[in-house]
Amino acid sequence: MNRDVRVTVFTTITLILCILLQSTLLNRIAIRGVRPDLALIVLVFVSMRRGSMVGQVSGFTAGIFEDLMNVSPLGFHSLLRTIIGYLYGIFAGNVFIDPFLMPMILTVIATILKGVLAGIISAIFGIASSGFITFTGRLWIEVAYNGVLAPFLFALLGLFRIFKQADKEAV
Amino acid sequence: MPGLFEGFITRHRKGVTLAVLIVVSFACLLVSNRAVVIKPKDVGLSFVGFFQKGFTGFFRWFGDTAGSIRQLNEAREELDAAQARLQEMDRVTREIVELRRQNATLREQLDFAQSLLPDRIAAEVIARDTDNLFSTITINKGSRQGIHPGMPVVAYQGDMEGLVGKVLSVGPGASQVLPLYDPQCLVSARLDSTRDEGLVKGEGKDHGTVLLQYVKKTAKDAIQYGDLVVTSGLGGVYPKGINLGRVREIKALAYETSLEIEVEPIVNFDRLEYVFLVGEESSSLVPAAAPDMPKSQPAAPVPAQGAHAQ
Repeated sequence: MNRDVRVTVFTTITLILCILLQSTLLNRIAIRGVRPDLALIVLVFVSMRRGSMVGQVSGFTAGIFEDLMNVSPLGFHSLLRTIIGYLYGIFAGNVFIDPFLMPMILTVIATILKGVLAGIISAIFGIASSGFITFTGRLWIEVAYNGVLAPFLFALLGLFRIFKQADKEAV
Repeated sequence: MPGLFEGFITRHRKGVTLAVLIVVSFACLLVSNRAVVIKPKDVGLSFVGFFQKGFTGFFRWFGDTAGSIRQLNEAREELDAAQARLQEMDRVTREIVELRRQNATLREQLDFAQSLLPDRIAAEVIARDTDNLFSTITINKGSRQGIHPGMPVVAYQGDMEGLVGKVLSVGPGASQVLPLYDPQCLVSARLDSTRDEGLVKGEGKDHGTVLLQYVKKTAKDAIQYGDLVVTSGLGGVYPKGINLGRVREIKALAYETSLEIEVEPIVNFDRLEYVFLVGEESSSLVPAAAPDMPKSQPAAPVPAQGAHAQ
């Protein structure tokens, strides 16, 4: 099996596990009802390491799975995660990722981007969601939560050989 | 020509994949979302409105923060006064300890009686929405256990029964519940003390308040903080008399013809573990509170079981 395919499959499974965690165990550590988006942090990490193709395909597949689990219309999360995976993949191999600051910055930007995209998609398709589309406190709690967790998750994911940085040309 | 096409795809593999995935996602959204906005003008309005909401929310946050500091100072003064009152209340409390103990015993017995209601299905909360954008709750009972969409869901916390929401969609072994705090959740309600009717609407905050709207302004003086809000039974979705919450703030905006009342839900959604689905038989067993016999005194916690016992 091609390495990219293996990475994509592994990433998709990891994302799905994160999504399942988010809907169950992570409720216990929710701050004012807001849970961290582990799947988003993983997606940012993998896209930055392995490029757009892995990021967008695994983001799309995991997003479809998430839509099937949730009340959100099919295609909502897949679109969000596809775009974020693609955009972050563009910078793969071009950004030096230190242990602390860059994971936080990248994740904070990704969370805000997710909020903006979710708001735009909700506005265009008339989707009623109770979340942070109006840039109220919930978004900023998730931004902070994801930002704090990102360095730890990046460090953990860095231990997996399968996520090893791809060659710049291959990306 | 085919060679050119293949060459283009090979060269722009990532871009083509992105385009395909976006088109598939859009197609899914179009098919699965019935409320799609099609008119270009409406799309533009929604798009601009999104950013307008964003700006308003952002600046309101600053305003609220400044207001919070002022309120903090006021609260400190109130605290001093309250501490003095508390000492007096301590004396009174000691006298009613014994009465409370007796009351608790009776409530336990009443809880047991309620658990025997024939058409209440107990369920466990097994998951919540994966993202913070939506707010459904997943329970471990589905159509196989007789659950159907629209069933009211209640929970017992402390010594009170409160409305959780209603069943939104049902699978064979699990169901999704639309919680009371979701903006899509509308419940016809009434104030238990004054009997004024209104409509409770979620505000999207699972730790915060819900909004009771369309209550006549003339009722402002009669409503007190802590008053109980219950379902009115109108509309036929929720049975009459289920506790929703207590009045936390009353707003009489000059440009509105009705009051906006913030209600603190009885149910703490962060602690929700088990719920009960109310079947039709149970619905008919939930009694209406008698208009001349309010269940609660203002600002005093009153057990819902008392209402059922009436």
